[in-house]
Amino acid sequence: MKRSSEALVGVVIVAALLLITFGTLWLQGATLRGQQTEIVGVFTSAGQVKPGNSVKVRGMSIGRVREIRLSPDGQSVEVVLRIQDDVTLPEDPVVILSPESLFGDWQAEIVPRDRFAAYRFTDPDDPDHLPGYALPDISQLTATADRISETIEELTERVGIAFSEETAQNIASLIDNVEAVTERLSELVTQQAQSFTDVTDEAQRATQEIRAAAERVRTTFESVGELVEREELVAILGDLAVVTENARTLSGELGETNLEIRAMAGRADSTLQEIGALVALARDGDGSVARLLRDPELAEEVEATMVSLRLLLDDIRENPRRYLRLSIF
Amino acid sequence: MRVLLQPFVLIGRGVTSVSAGIGAWGLLTARTVGAMRHLDVWVRLLLPQMARVGVDSVPIALFIAMFTGIVLSLQASYTFTGAIPLYFVGVLVGKTIMLELGPVLTGLALSGRVGANIAAELGTMRVTEQIDALETLAYPPLAYLVVPRVIAGIIMFPLITALAIGMGIFAGWATAIQLLDMTSAEFISGLMLFFVPFDVTFALVKATSFGFIVTSLGCFFGFNTRGGAEGVGSSTTRAVVVSSMVILVLDAFWAITLL
Repeated sequence: MKRSSEALVGVVIVAALLLITFGTLWLQGATLRGQQTEIVGVFTSAGQVKPGNSVKVRGMSIGRVREIRLSPDGQSVEVVLRIQDDVTLPEDPVVILSPESLFGDWQAEIVPRDRFAAYRFTDPDDPDHLPGYALPDISQLTATADRISETIEELTERVGIAFSEETAQNIASLIDNVEAVTERLSELVTQQAQSFTDVTDEAQRATQEIRAAAERVRTTFESVGELVEREELVAILGDLAVVTENARTLSGELGETNLEIRAMAGRADSTLQEIGALVALARDGDGSVARLLRDPELAEEVEATMVSLRLLLDDIRENPRRYLRLSIF
Repeated sequence: MRVLLQPFVLIGRGVTSVSAGIGAWGLLTARTVGAMRHLDVWVRLLLPQMARVGVDSVPIALFIAMFTGIVLSLQASYTFTGAIPLYFVGVLVGKTIMLELGPVLTGLALSGRVGANIAAELGTMRVTEQIDALETLAYPPLAYLVVPRVIAGIIMFPLITALAIGMGIFAGWATAIQLLDMTSAEFISGLMLFFVPFDVTFALVKATSFGFIVTSLGCFFGFNTRGGAEGVGSSTTRAVVVSSMVILVLDAFWAITLL
């Protein structure tokens, strides 16, 4: 056999072996650089997870599911996860098996327990094993949805049986009543709201006034305090006593004045009676005044006489020599 | 009466013939295993047989795998248009080529090439009494003719299948990024999504069994050739047909037993 043929056989063998080895490692996501470690999660069910599924922390792939096995006592499932050993796991880590997409691929995600406190994680005996929880797969969800739909269908049938025409009328009437009650309630609520608003306003105003009064009282007390501190209050009280005494004296004097005024009023009354008698006499009597009041012609004559007299007096004032002649000798 | 019995006669004859053939093939296989003790005879012949069975078959295996990968990628993208994300093209190409098409198409192609070659070669040696001459000379014909071919097939078939799988996936990836609206990351993400190392083991186990079947059946039909050139042609045809059928049966068998 030629040497070149032997070499070709060797090349084919080596190439195929390299392809198998490195292709498998690459598709597994294994790395030749980093060291890997294994952790075990304990579950009540493995769900749909399979060896080779991704292991993730915070959404980042850090390894793969290596093996799935029943626990020695057969009461749980142990899932062996091969992950990079330089990854820091979260505080109090737990493992959740969940669908990675809607197409059947699952993943194992390492998360802190407090983020999923509602899940009932297993309690592994081995402290090195992580508690786990497997989410129900889509078939279980579908079965549950199917049961729910059956229940709803049964309920619908029962409602259909119970829902007669009379029931419909009763319900319609009930709805009308409810509407009326609702309207009244609405009006009542509106009124109460307005009243409440008014009360609130009043209370607010009262509060403001109380506050202002309190402020004034406080100011007054401060002023009183200042006065007390400056010892002016004693002087003011002394002055106030003097003023009170003066007021009392004034009041006594006013009382006397009042008596005098009352006597004077009596005298004025008698004077007015006398004046009334004089007026009556002047109006009804036979004297000059009465006649003057009753006779207009006489009044005119008197007035004309008065005019003449005024003219005479003016003339005497201007020409006294015409009427007065003084001679000593 | 004879007419009525004729179908049963045919069935019985067929079953008997097939059983006799299986028995003869089993006997040859057992004798082949026994002939492996003649290391001085077959070891020096192994490398040339590996070259003939394996190296010479690489081009046809890669050619078939390349176009299989291309077609798979295109058909997957055509099928997955809509709700299914395109990265499932990678899933389909990887899984299909690794688990099924890589081993099976390579096996079928090599059954036509290698199985026919072995059956024709040994059949010709049988009808020209060369095998009889070896037996006359007390030279172990099984160790000289069968053992190196079968071992070469068992060794080289998985390696060729591995190369074919690599070529198929590469062709699928190239098609996806060149002809489809996909990125390398999407394709590789899908490729790795459901990958488990057992897929490779499964493919190699199947390929190994196919290698044994193709070479041993080629040897069996070549060794049992009767007549002249017509017998050689008949043996060659039967070797290819039976090898192909057994490959498909074995494919189902491994799927049932291993998956």
